Amino acid sequence: MISKKRFLVGGVALALIAGTLVSTPAKAASSELVIGSVLDIDKLDPHTSTNFATVRALGLVYSSLVEVGPGNKLKTGLASSWSFNAAGTQLKLVLRQGVKFHDGSTFDATDAKASLERILDTKTGAAGRANLLTITSMVAEGRSLTLNLSVPNVPILAALDGVNMAMLSSDDIAAGKVGGSNKPNGTGPYKFVSWEPTQSVKYVSNPGYWMGAPKITNLTIRVIPNESSILSAMNAGTIQFGIVTDPLIAKQVSTKTLKLFKVPALAYYALQLNTKVAPFNDKNVRLAIQCSIDRPEMINTAMLGEGAVSGPITSPAYKSDPNARPCPKVDIAKAKEYLAAAGKSSGVTFKALVTSNGWATSVAMAQNLKAQLARADITMDLDIVDQATYVPRWLGADFVATLANNGGRIDPDTMYTRYFTSTGNLNKVATYSSATLDANFLKGKSSGKTAVRTSAYTAISKELEDNAVWVWLATPYEYRVATKELKGFVALATGSLLPLRSASLG
Amino acid sequence: MRLAKTSGIAARLLSVLITLFGISVFIFIVLRVIPGDTITGSLGIETGVLTPEQIDDLKRYYGIDKPLLLQYFSWITSFLSGDLGFAYSTGVSVLTLTGSSLPVTIELALFGTISGVIMGIAIGMFSAKKPGSARDFFGQLFGLLALAIPGFVLSTAIVTIMANKFGYFPNGYEYMTPWEDLWMNLQQMLFPSIVLGIAVAAPVMRTTRSALLETVDKDFIRTAFGKGLKSRTVQFRHVLRNSLIPIVTMTGIQFGYLLGGAVIVEKIFALPGMGRQILDAINKREYATVQSSVMIFAILFVTINLVTDIIYRRIDPRIK
Amino acid sequence: MTTKKQEKTWVHYYFKSTSGVVGAVLVLLMMIISICAAFGWTTHDPLAQNPMDALQGPSSTYWFGTDQFGRDVFSRAMDGMRRSMTVSIVAVGIAGFIGVSLGVLGGFLGKWLDGFVVRLSDVIFAFPAILLALAIVNSLGNSWIDTSLAIAIVYTPIFIRVARGPVLTIKELDYVKSVRVLGFSSPRILMSHVLPNVLAPILVQIALSMSWAILTESGLSFLGLGTQPPDASLGLMVSEAQPMAAFAWWTLVAPSAFITLVVVGLNLVGDGLRDSLDPARRQS
Repeated sequence: MISKKRFLVGGVALALIAGTLVSTPAKAASSELVIGSVLDIDKLDPHTSTNFATVRALGLVYSSLVEVGPGNKLKTGLASSWSFNAAGTQLKLVLRQGVKFHDGSTFDATDAKASLERILDTKTGAAGRANLLTITSMVAEGRSLTLNLSVPNVPILAALDGVNMAMLSSDDIAAGKVGGSNKPNGTGPYKFVSWEPTQSVKYVSNPGYWMGAPKITNLTIRVIPNESSILSAMNAGTIQFGIVTDPLIAKQVSTKTLKLFKVPALAYYALQLNTKVAPFNDKNVRLAIQCSIDRPEMINTAMLGEGAVSGPITSPAYKSDPNARPCPKVDIAKAKEYLAAAGKSSGVTFKALVTSNGWATSVAMAQNLKAQLARADITMDLDIVDQATYVPRWLGADFVATLANNGGRIDPDTMYTRYFTSTGNLNKVATYSSATLDANFLKGKSSGKTAVRTSAYTAISKELEDNAVWVWLATPYEYRVATKELKGFVALATGSLLPLRSASLG
Repeated sequence: MRLAKTSGIAARLLSVLITLFGISVFIFIVLRVIPGDTITGSLGIETGVLTPEQIDDLKRYYGIDKPLLLQYFSWITSFLSGDLGFAYSTGVSVLTLTGSSLPVTIELALFGTISGVIMGIAIGMFSAKKPGSARDFFGQLFGLLALAIPGFVLSTAIVTIMANKFGYFPNGYEYMTPWEDLWMNLQQMLFPSIVLGIAVAAPVMRTTRSALLETVDKDFIRTAFGKGLKSRTVQFRHVLRNSLIPIVTMTGIQFGYLLGGAVIVEKIFALPGMGRQILDAINKREYATVQSSVMIFAILFVTINLVTDIIYRRIDPRIK
Repeated sequence: MTTKKQEKTWVHYYFKSTSGVVGAVLVLLMMIISICAAFGWTTHDPLAQNPMDALQGPSSTYWFGTDQFGRDVFSRAMDGMRRSMTVSIVAVGIAGFIGVSLGVLGGFLGKWLDGFVVRLSDVIFAFPAILLALAIVNSLGNSWIDTSLAIAIVYTPIFIRVARGPVLTIKELDYVKSVRVLGFSSPRILMSHVLPNVLAPILVQIALSMSWAILTESGLSFLGLGTQPPDASLGLMVSEAQPMAAFAWWTLVAPSAFITLVVVGLNLVGDGLRDSLDPARRQS
């Protein structure tokens, strides 16, 4: 009897295993790509999407007037050309001809105007609204859209890139058919097919796409809520593309069997300091922190070497020189001098707000920084909370210091005006502003000349570092893992999946 | 309490309702106590770009502008009338969401319980055959070792080894319900069920082993000089049938536990169950989804408990 | 009194059980390790980061190698053992104390108190543990005490159940009924007749719950809700080591081995207790 039972159990197990070997589903057809993502998308409205996964996913369906391409250069998108007037107060965009929405209607200037108006409408709650506030009026004529600006604003062009600036059909907007449970209707390379919450988003190629129909005809973003499982799924061949953020997982990718794409991200890590409260209301204490930190050590330990030291501005054209700061290398002696100058020779203690699940290496970074600061008699106590708790505290500047992962943009204006200008809507969080910063931001915004902008942003970077307003640490990498059969794909620093439109399998 | 049977059941039902009421209040309060709300949960740090008027608008939209007591009553009355609320981000009703995720979790818990019972009985029988021997010791030890490994370690190890060495990872494919593709569904449930089943297997193994040993002792002595040696295996079968009753009633409780404990397994094996639904909704502070999902869970759990209790009382006449 | 004599034979039987002995040895070993860690008697400072020595395999200097920060894995595991033990003892202590008190009082005194106790137990039972942990961690703080509290609340219903069951049965026994009729005070009846008989299953449950608590804490750590650095527990160590296991196996093996030993040990102790405390099971 015992042996019978065991036999039964063993037999069932064997049958299952045998069955799997026999009936493994046929390998995906060569024009189908399945992408593994830890996060599911959270909505279908491009203008209010802030979640990385949503932005990535909707970026395949919607297009914007301009695009950021490889090398972080601005490229034409739905706008085929543009020009500023001499004063820089008027931007004329010529729209691409022959672009159709997925529902068949034509894209023209009325759609562009309606889309921008929707972003500006406070009722929408659009994430990119602040970047368009200098627009006083818009004129739509056939294929051209003219934006009249209140002040010269050159960076507005770069601000027009991205899913938050998606071009929608004016009919959809008028009928209120955007977001909610409405099927996305865009001009992008892929048509939205379905969204099964917590499971997948499915797409099919858009045959009428203005760059030519994508070679990969079917796309699926499949939710696999664990990066280790994503890697396993790739090794087993059940998915062909994976979005990985954890350097520990990226290190395990076998380049013999898979392709690993790695590009420096525009996002950056910083220890934000609250300059309005003790002990960081004293500049000397802030400088002491800056000098106690060995950034390469943090990168090597917490990020396994997968990162680069950075300054405030990560926009490639105006990138900050990481050595242009009071302590480009760790200098404990100097740190102690600063502490003495602040009257704190016996040491300083403060609490740092850290998110436990905001990004993969947050807690590791915090631990290493804590150990480093201890060498200069600075005690950083860790206050670790989950992301949803972290957010309201971050927004309310309810912290003495916080380890943050902030997004970067290709233009320093869109990247930092919201933080460091006195009228910026996140200035409360940045806790610092000055007349000189305001002046320099205005200078950078108004001029079209690279030399002028460079001097403005160099000055801004210098002021931020010399005052140790925040302690800028490093930039990570964006990782994409793909099957060796994927050709023609290039990874972008913005994380966008748009290059899939020109890619092919096999 | 020597109440008549019918009023006994009525009393039980009343206590069930009170329990459920308690849970609804508890979950409501707990959610409001946690920092963050639906707005920050959905927009993250970009909430900072909203104007105060926009925030008021959103509060109205999410229904979190009303006083707490009103929010509670509007939720609980909708719930009782079948409207479980709305998951604002997805534009899908909680009822629909739960309708697809609950079966997954129930199937997982069911298979977990079954696999646990099978494993437990198998090891228990293996050990009981020669009590006190090395075989017995190692049988028990094996059961314990499996229990001692944290669930997520075991799960990840299984996934990694199966995928990397054998190229086998059914959970890397789209999840299939049993009616869509039974074979794929069973494969996707196989390893997660085994991992969950281990926690069930341990007590089952112990109960099986001791029950077998007890009966074997008695029967053995009784029949030793009597009819001649009866086949041990016949005794085992008889004993097993009797031991199954307490095992089954115990697994009723375990089943309920598994419903709540499956979230880690659901994450690693990418199963779209209730555990993940609740966890994701908590992270996004989607109050309606969390509240209603937890209530559904609680109703299920309490019902299972009630049924198990009734069966237990029927079998064990000592308890009144 | 009979109880004292029973206690002597109880211990005597315990040591006759192989499981009990092996378990006790393992648990004792883990306790010693925890105490050593508490006094700082470890091979290295568990918190000291030596980035130059990061990710080295086991050697004579670092018995179980180093992690990504250059911390000695063995010393950290010892410290982790201490913290896991602390969480486990505190959580089960609270759950046991509250659960048993409620279970015994409810079962013995009956009526509305019993009803309330059962209902409370059901409410907590039906509540997802993660949600509770999240709530506690977010509103009270995230030190190890808060994690222990979360686990304690989740485990209380088990103790209520384990304590209440025998009490219900004992309450109906003839001799207990008769001493009640004779007017013996309830506290005296509880102490001398009820508790000694409830003690057995409770002791067993304590051993088992302690082993589960360590595993629960590790699961919470995986979800980011367990003890937080620098209060790292074994569960957190395992959770952190898991993505590195492919190229730094020692970071996973040391804490896992410790968890396994203590969980197995506690379960064996539970078995030994069960074998020795239940007269029907005693081996001659």
